[in-house]
This record gives sequence, C-alpha cells and structure tokens, in this order.
Amino acid sequence: WKKDEFRNCNQTPFCKRARFRAPHSLPHYAVSDLAISEGHLKARLLPWRPSVDPVNDAGDPPRSLLLLLSVYQGGVLRLKIDEDYSAPSAPSKKRFEVPDVVLPDLEDRRLWLPRFFSAEDGAATSFYLSDGFEGFLRHDPFEIEVRREGSKDPVVSLNSHGLFDFEQLRQKTEGEDWEERFRGHTDTRPYGPQSISFDVSFHGAEFVYGIPEHASTSLALRPTKGPGVEESEPYRLFNLDVFEYLDDSAFGIYGSIPFMLSHSLKSSSGFFWLNSAEMQIDVLAPGWDNSTASDKSRIDTFWMSEAGILDAFFFVGPGPKDVLRQYASVTGTLAMPQEFAIAYHQCRWNYRDEEDVASVDASFDEHDIPYDVLWLDIEHTDGKRYFTWDRVLFPNPEEMQKKLAAKGRHMVTIVDPHIKRDDSYHVHKEASEKGYYVKDATGKDFDGWCWSGSSSYPDMLNPEIREWWADKFSLNNYGGSTPSLYIWNDMNEPSVFNGPEITMTRDAVHYGGIEHREMHNAYGYYFHMATANGLLKRGNGNDRPFVLSRAFFAGSQRYGAIWTGDNTADWDHLKASVPMVLTLGLTGISFSGADVGGFFGNPEPELLVRWYQLGAFYPFFRAHAHHDTRRREPWLLGSLAAEGELYVDDGKSYNFEHGAYIHRRFIFSDHKLTSYDLHSPPNVGLKKFTSGCTVERIILLGLPSGAEKAVIEPGNFKADIELGPLTLRAATSSVAPTIRKPNVRIADNWSIKVL
Amino acid sequence: TSISNKQYLGIDPRDLSYYKSDVIKCINGSKKFTREQLNDEFCDCPDGTDEPGTSACPEGKFYCQNAGHIPLKIFSSRVNDGICDCCDGSDEYDGNANCPNTCWEAGKAARERLKKKIETFKEGIVARKKEIEKAKEAYTKDEAELAKLKSDEKMLKELVQKLKEQKERIEKLEQEERLKKEKEEKRLREEEEKSKEQEEKAEESQQHSTDSSHEQEILMDSHDREIESRNDDVTKTESAASDAVEQENVDSGAISDDAEGLSKEELGRLVASRWTGQEASEKKDIIGNVEEDQVSHDPDEHYGYNSETEENRAKYDEDDRANYDEDNFEDDQEDEYEDDNAVSDGSYIPDQYEKTGSADTTDTSNPSWFGKIQRTVQNVLHAFNFFKTPVNVSEAAHIRKEYEESNSKLSRVQSKVSSLSEKLKHDFGKEKEFYLFYDHCFESKQNKYVYKICPFKQASQVEGHSTTRLGSWDKFEESYRVMLFSNGDRCWNGPDRSLKVRLRCGVKNEVSDVDEPSRCEYLAFMSTPSVCLEDKLKELEQKLGQLTTMQPQNHDEL
Repeated sequence: WKKDEFRNCNQTPFCKRARFRAPHSLPHYAVSDLAISEGHLKARLLPWRPSVDPVNDAGDPPRSLLLLLSVYQGGVLRLKIDEDYSAPSAPSKKRFEVPDVVLPDLEDRRLWLPRFFSAEDGAATSFYLSDGFEGFLRHDPFEIEVRREGSKDPVVSLNSHGLFDFEQLRQKTEGEDWEERFRGHTDTRPYGPQSISFDVSFHGAEFVYGIPEHASTSLALRPTKGPGVEESEPYRLFNLDVFEYLDDSAFGIYGSIPFMLSHSLKSSSGFFWLNSAEMQIDVLAPGWDNSTASDKSRIDTFWMSEAGILDAFFFVGPGPKDVLRQYASVTGTLAMPQEFAIAYHQCRWNYRDEEDVASVDASFDEHDIPYDVLWLDIEHTDGKRYFTWDRVLFPNPEEMQKKLAAKGRHMVTIVDPHIKRDDSYHVHKEASEKGYYVKDATGKDFDGWCWSGSSSYPDMLNPEIREWWADKFSLNNYGGSTPSLYIWNDMNEPSVFNGPEITMTRDAVHYGGIEHREMHNAYGYYFHMATANGLLKRGNGNDRPFVLSRAFFAGSQRYGAIWTGDNTADWDHLKASVPMVLTLGLTGISFSGADVGGFFGNPEPELLVRWYQLGAFYPFFRAHAHHDTRRREPWLLGSLAAEGELYVDDGKSYNFEHGAYIHRRFIFSDHKLTSYDLHSPPNVGLKKFTSGCTVERIILLGLPSGAEKAVIEPGNFKADIELGPLTLRAATSSVAPTIRKPNVRIADNWSIKVL
Repeated sequence: TSISNKQYLGIDPRDLSYYKSDVIKCINGSKKFTREQLNDEFCDCPDGTDEPGTSACPEGKFYCQNAGHIPLKIFSSRVNDGICDCCDGSDEYDGNANCPNTCWEAGKAARERLKKKIETFKEGIVARKKEIEKAKEAYTKDEAELAKLKSDEKMLKELVQKLKEQKERIEKLEQEERLKKEKEEKRLREEEEKSKEQEEKAEESQQHSTDSSHEQEILMDSHDREIESRNDDVTKTESAASDAVEQENVDSGAISDDAEGLSKEELGRLVASRWTGQEASEKKDIIGNVEEDQVSHDPDEHYGYNSETEENRAKYDEDDRANYDEDNFEDDQEDEYEDDNAVSDGSYIPDQYEKTGSADTTDTSNPSWFGKIQRTVQNVLHAFNFFKTPVNVSEAAHIRKEYEESNSKLSRVQSKVSSLSEKLKHDFGKEKEFYLFYDHCFESKQNKYVYKICPFKQASQVEGHSTTRLGSWDKFEESYRVMLFSNGDRCWNGPDRSLKVRLRCGVKNEVSDVDEPSRCEYLAFMSTPSVCLEDKLKELEQKLGQLTTMQPQNHDEL
C-alpha cells in the first residue's frame, strides 16, 4: 500500500471544490419550460444568481441546462441533465454519455408519459412512475423526488440540500491555468473544469450498501463525513491497480459501480449514476449539515464526478429484491455461466510448464479432489505477448488442453490489455498500423509500462476495435488454443506502471475525441465485453463464454466473472472478502469471488482451510497465489479439516430447467478435499438469468427473517474453531454429483438452514 | 473364483468370501445390509462396503482386476464417469464410454520397467554393500585417528605449556634488561643534559631515546594493528550488512519517494518490481538495449525455474510410475570411491576439505612426528641458559619460534580434533551407509545454474561467479529418503532458501533434476546405492511375480 501514490480528495481539485460547500450556498437552478416531449418530461434549468459569484465570474455566464425525465416499466425513473448544446455560446465539445451499458431494449420498456400534474400550487410537478409511486419535481430550487402516492412520503430525492453543481464547459480565460500536476505527472486538462456534484437522500433508510469496489469489513457503507467520523475521506470510485490494498478503506480499487441501495425493514430503494469518470461519494452521518433536528430515518449522500453528464436512475423498491430487479432491468442480468465455471478453479502465478500442469492435474485425481479449471498466468506467454506461448515451457499447448478436456476439465489463460510495443508481434503491428491504440494528449499512441515493458492499449471504446479484438480469440488467430480454453482479463483498469496513480493519463484520447478521464472507469468493462464477445464468436454463439475480469463497471455481469484482485493472506482480508463479494452481488455482479488463500503471502494452515471453507460460498471459487508464496494446492493442507456446504435452490428466480440447481458442496476432511459440484442446465448457448437476483440471496434475501444478521456479521472466523456459523447444510444428505459423475440423481427438496 | 458375476463387481477377489453371507456387515461395523443391497446403486454403508462396484458411496473403492497388468483400486467417483480408469475397462460398464482392454500392452511395458528397476536394485544392493564396508572401515579409521589425535593434543598441550613458560621467562628477563637499559640511558641523558645544555645536543639525545622506544612501538603497533584490522573486518562485514539493510530501505523507499526523479521506464520497472520481487537495484543496468533487457529482466528470471527448460524437469512425486520412466540406471556402473576424486560422475572432494585434510593428515599419520617435536623441545629447553644475562638474542628467538610452531601445530591438531568430532557426531544412517558422503560434493548442471550439494555441509546454486546458498545441512527425513538443507540465503520478499534432496536407488551417486516447485524451496533428486534396500527389492520381485502370473494364458510372453 503506497498511500502517497494515490490522490486523496484534497489532492483532487474537483473533489476538494465540491466537498466543502455548505448546503444551499451555491447559485441554484430553477425549472422552466416544462413540457411533455415524445413521452419524456422535458424542462430547462435556469441558473439563478442572487449576486455576483466571484468563482464563476471568471468565465462565461452560466447557460441553462436541459433536464429530461423518463419512466420505465417496473419502477424506474431516469433523470438526465446535460448542457444545452443548441445555445449560442454552447461548447463545441460534447460531454461523454457512457454508451453500451444500458440494455439496448430499455427504450422498448419506456412508459410514454401522457401528462403531468401541477402540485403545491404550481410550485411543483408530479407524474406517474409506477403503481404506488410518483415522480415529483420541485421547481425552485429544482429538486427531484420519488415518492409514495397517497402519503406523499419521499423515498429517494436529489438536490434536497441544494448541493447540485454543474461546471459548464467554457473558454479558458487569459492567464487561467487548467493543468493539474501530481507526482511528476501533468494532466493538461484541455477542457478545464467540468465536474458535476449533487446530494441524494434515501428516506426511511437505515443502511446504504453498494458502490463497489472498496475493501471493507462492513457490508453497510459507513458514514464518511459528519459527526463521529474520524478520518474523513469519501468513497472513491476510480479503477486502480493498488499494490497490497488495505482490508478496510474508502479507497477505490479495481472496479466501479456507481449504484447505491438503501434498506430498512420498511422499504428499500436505489440510485444509479451512469457516469464513468472519477467519482467520489460521501455517506453523510446524521447531523452533517448542522441541522438540530437530525432525521435519523434518512441517509444523505453526496456524489461528485470529474466529468460526464448527469444520467441517473432512481429505483423505487419497495423490497430489496425489487431494487435488484429494477437495477438489472437497466444494466442487465448475469450471463449464465457454464457448469464448469461455477466449480472449483485452481490458479497460481504460475503453473510454469506442461509438466507442472500435468503434475497438478494428476495430484487432484490422486487425492480425489474435484476441480474443473486449471489456470495459466502471464508467464505462459512468449515475453508477455498475449495470444502467444512460451514454446519452451509450453511446446504443445493444444495437446495439454486436450488432455485436460478428456477429463471434462478446462484451461484458462490470461490476456491483458497492454500490448507489447514490438514490431515483430503481430497484435502490435496490426494495432499500430490500423491506429487502434488509445492516443496520448499529443496524438501519438499512448505508451505506458506494464508487464510487457513498453506497451500500448487498444481503444476498447471503439466498437470496430472491439470487433477486431474479439476476432483475436478465434481458434485460427489464437495459436495453441482449443475450444476448451477460456480467458482471464487482468490489469484492465488499465494498469500502467509508470502512469499517474498506476494508470493511464487522464488527458489520453479515445474514439470520438473522448478523454480518458471521461471513460476511465469503463475501460475495463469494454475490454471485458470485447473478450467475452470474442469467445462467443469463436463458438459461433453456441458456447457460453467464460471471462474473468479484474476491472469492472455497471453491466459487467453480462460478460463474466469478477474477482476482488490482489488480496493478502491474512484474517482481515478473509473477513473483508465477505462484504466485498456480497457488495458485488448487490450491485449486479453476482458471479464473483476473492482469491482463496490470499494472493500475497503465505496463509497459516488454519487460515487456508477457513478460506476454502468460505470460498465454497463465493459464487466464483478460485484459489490463486503470488509466485513468491509456497505451493498450497489443497492436498498440501495436511491433516486439517474443514467443511462447508452451499445449496442454492431455484427453478424460479433463475428460470433453470426443471431439476437443475446451482449447487455446490465442499468438504475438506480426513486429509482430503471433496467438492461435490454443482449441477446446472445443459450447455445451451446464450442463456441468461432472468432475474437480477444474486446467488447469495439465500443469505441476504432468501431467508424470511434474521437475514441481515446472517450476512452482515459473518462472525469471527478465527475464533470459531468449531465448524459453526459458516456451515449451511441441506436438510437431506443425499449424495450430489461431482463434475466427473454427471448422472446421479439429486433429491428435489433442498432447503436451507443456517446452523 | 470368478468375479464375472455382476453382483460382485468391484470386489477384490481376496475379499469375496466376506460378501458370501446373506446379511453382510459394513466393514466399519456401523450397519448391516442384505446381499440384494450389494451394488444396488444405493449407499447403505457410509464406508462404501455395500457399493464396491458403483459410484453410489463417496467413500467407496472399486477394484479392477486388470489381468495382464497390476490390479488397481480406484475411487468410486471414477465408476461410470465416462473416463477409462482401469486398463481392463471394467470401471465403465454402463455403455456410455467405450474402454478397450489395454492391460496387455500396458502390462508389458510395466513389466519391462519393473524388470529394469529390479536390475538396478540388484546392482545397487551390491554397490551398497561395498560402500557400507568401506564406510565402516573409514569410520573405524576415523575413530582411531580421533583417539590418537586427542592423545597427541593432550601431550602437545603440555609441551606448548612448557615452551610458553620458558618464553614468558625470557620475555620477563628481556623486559628487565630493557628497563635497566632505559634507566641507564635516562641517567646518561640527564648527565649529558646537565653537562651540556646546548639545544642541539639535547635534541640529539631526544632522538636517541625515541629511536629505542620506537622499536617497541613498532612491535606494539603491529600487534595492535592486527587486532585493529581484525576488528575492521568485523565492522566491515557489519557495516556492509547494515549498508545492505539500509540500501534495501532506501530502495523500497525510493519507490514512493524518488519516483519523480526517475525516467518513465525506470518508474514502470520499479512499480512492476513490487509484484515480481525484482530488486530495485537492478534498475540501474536496465537502461540500454530495451529488447535485450526485457528478456533478461522478465520476472521469470526471479524464479529460476521458469527459465529452466530442460526436458528432465523434476517430478514432484517420486512414485513408482515416475521411477519406471527413469532409464538412467543403465549407465555404466562406476564406483566413485574407487576413482580418486570421482569427478567424472559429478562428485568431488571439495578443496577446502582437501586442504584441512591433507596437510595435517600426512603430518599426524607420520609416527615419528610427535617424537620429533618432543626432542626438539627438549633440546631447546636444555640449551637455554636462564641465568645468563644479557639474554642471548638468537636463543630467545629460537624459543619463540619453537613456541609458535608448536602452538600452531597444536591449534591445527585441535581443529582437526574438532572437525573430526564434528563429523563423527552426525547420523550416517543405520549402517553408516552415508558415511562416505561426508567429504563429497555432488554437482548437477541445469541450464545456466550449477547446483552443488555437499551432504552434511551445505548446498548452493552457482551461476557464473555468483553463488547462492540454498541451505546448510539440516537432517535426514523420511527414514533416510530425503536430505534436508535449510536456512539458506534469504529470498527477496520470501522465505530463507531450502533444498530437499530426494534419494532413490541407483547404481551410482548422481544428482539428476533440481527444481524450485515453490519460491526458494528447491527440490533435487539423487540416485545412490545407499537407498537400494533388500526389502524393497523383494517387494518389487513380488510385484513382478504377480504381474507375470496374472498374465492371460493366451499371451505367454516367456
């Protein structure tokens, strides 16, 4: 953990500017020109300036903004606020709207608003949202509310504290310096300040969850500002490759999902800001605004982003499952994984050659330990040139994969986005000739340092480049690959070892003149998307892809699994993995897990056993280790015993074929590890879960009462030497199949019990 | 007995009688089941007794007869799983997998390997006997020598003590003389000063006096200097060590502190080094030919094994199958101990042991050696006249010389005693079969590295001029099947290096594969007659007998 290498809020000018403003201290915006247009509610937001504002006086006078409200089936309200590009003094540069995240058919599910109603004697407007809920727009200052019909109780609201601010694009004034410097890196910031910030209140909420990815030992988001908060730093959403990240910190790591859920026993709601620039979010402790009558049944939050537009979704709930479903109706549900993908994965940096692979594979059989996937990290390549093999270590990769496949097993190789700048490397040659790389601020190919040394990064924002990338995975293009080979995307934050904060410079330029700062948090998402599509193409649409990615964004669940990156082999990281994986599940990424055993360091034997025990509950279940660590394949555990079982019944929420279960049972006892693996529907092309519900719902949502307790307090692992709180058992003890034994009957009356 | 009966599928013929009654007990005694419940695809016994032929019990085992090859017990999870596990195909009987009987071919190969292995064992056992004889001889000789050395040591000590006393006497006399002389000089000087008060003269006399004390100073000086220089060495090593520590601190600090002073490439490499463990100091020689140093600074370099790519990689499991594959036992048999240093097969007597050995051994083994010293000393002592002053300079020097020579002889004898005692303290195996390993090192070249294994001493990895200590001798493990070296050089961000040497039967001593399965934990294989045991041979012969008798009649090979 190299704290100094990363910016905190005070070193981040947009965050520093926004965070310390008092409520209602800004010039505010008022609604005018309200109208229905093509079923949307449209309005103009007029800046209202009580006096001369010394800060904004420097530039052009603020223009009005355009506001658009849309309603979608199932209780979803969308709010867009952007510049009025038709205004005479409008900027030539358009702000970035994140494409390809919202489901393409969302527009088909839009409700055509026929009318709106005047409320509060014309000072506000209300409109239909869903049964029992209405949208509500207060005019001056503008405020958006989702509220219950009848009681008029608010559920979620925006700008209730008048903290909305929209830094409009403008001309640089003479003598103004827009550059930002950090640790020897200069960000030229050619378009100047363009941040957006606002407050969101969750009414009736006791807890808020979500906005991954942060390492935390708590599922509920702790307040970051206000009374009782000691180290005040907002939750940061900025995809970064953080070496040895801390187990409990508001600091942003590999992925970002700007989606927050609120919950209380009475109701749940959600808020999602579709924006891929750096974001900082405060959860405000009651009394943060010095109001004496602090309302404890409300949680206020404050959202700041460096760039982009305001494109936000309100989810009305009222139950937690409803919120998940509503969020999934916007960003999509989990892609149905193949059966092998939800089984046990064995990884290490690195299984170093074919003989090592054969020996590890044979040892699993020798110990009768089921496993389904063997992984190869970066060292399998020829000098970190992805899609190639170190032919000395791996002279016959096809044969190696076929041997595994003969036993129903699969292999995963790593493919990262940093392309070695080596003219003899075909991927680089093609990418540079076609101009497919992200450009630096001067217009040259961005050149950064990563595993492959001097490297460039394909511009994954461009759909054409994503297609080109996808084609790299065909069996012809990827020499040495076979149909049983699947892919692992690492370092796609993107990680740039010599870049500011170990990532790409913000003024790098993407497709359509989009600055990297505007799309940074989605780079890994597009890379993951392109890779998954590559595997889909490879199988002519008949083979469900499996791609693990480290970086993620809202919607990544449609492309594959996510893991929590380079964790550490200690008890605190084991503990933190539970809220981290659950948070991913709550924000749509239900196929996720942490490295079993901890990536850095050597776990003590009991920790490793506990981690396997817990790992059986991660939807994505993979052991991984740094190359400096001792070997720790499960048969090396010796005589320690552990047992964990997980059964998830379904047939309803996942729309599985009759008799199919997601089912995993994992036992380590009597000197051996046994995982009775899961059973899922037969391989059918492009299946998807039809619900946004998470795999972990049995813990969080599926239990009628006491559920929060079961999730939020996973217990003191170390103290629980007895196999206690983690053990979930099925009511029957029938034998379930391993992946090598596919035809055994499964009893059909699984039920879940927390022991 | 025929086990063609489907009901008795998966049962070892030797256990058949157990299943003959109508009601059968689970082997662990937990339950009972009827014969109808045998292999009915429903698990009644938690230990799998009732389902030997199906996959119903997770704890069950399936027996395949594998006529023509070795019978095998497989996990019940392998039954009807679509994968052929038994060479006779009996584990896949539900028709979903087509498993041809390959036992004849596989068995033939297995028999060949087994025969070869038995040959190796036979030769190895002969070699081992020879070695043990030699070892015992050497051990007895060493014991006798130690006893003799100890008695020599005792007497030599007495002589040295005598010489020391004489030397001290002489020194005392010399000291007295010197004091007297000084006094005399002082008196003379004072007289001179009194009589002649001219400055020049005074100066001259001053000069004179310093000259004589100067001599003493030189003596003192050189002594002091010696001590000092010894101290220096200590401080040097210490400061070098602390320098290294500091250096390390500086380096790791540099990542966060000096980042701004680095070139883009240096910064990239520095950050990469956190994950790879590549030392930051290496960054200095990185700049230059990018292509070349990308190759040489790949993180693979830091776990040696990645760049080692010989076909003869290490096996993790020294199981029988692996052994069958070894055909290196065919090599010419050579008893390395009959060769002088047996360098030819990778074993040699290391220099340092040769030195400490030879010089003293030739001396001490000469019977006249001790008497000679004794006589010399007696002569010296007699010849010296203690009452004569001034001390005869040549005689004094003679005494000193004798003292020093005897003393250094004594310390050589003492060091020989201690090294021999140290040697004899070790555990050399039940029959002292590893005794002759003591003064030998074994080498194996694996690509750019040369591994040196010196049993009971240390092991190292040599690359060009740089040597990495893999460990010091720790102990035997697994009843003399493994030699363990531990506490080697520390790994960056990792454990102290260690090396396990797995021993397997072979006709000569030879290190074959060296590998690093885990970071800085090395594993080597060494073949040696020392572990060719009769019991194991009998076992192998039995196995071969079994294999041969179980051949199908129509394939009589012999």
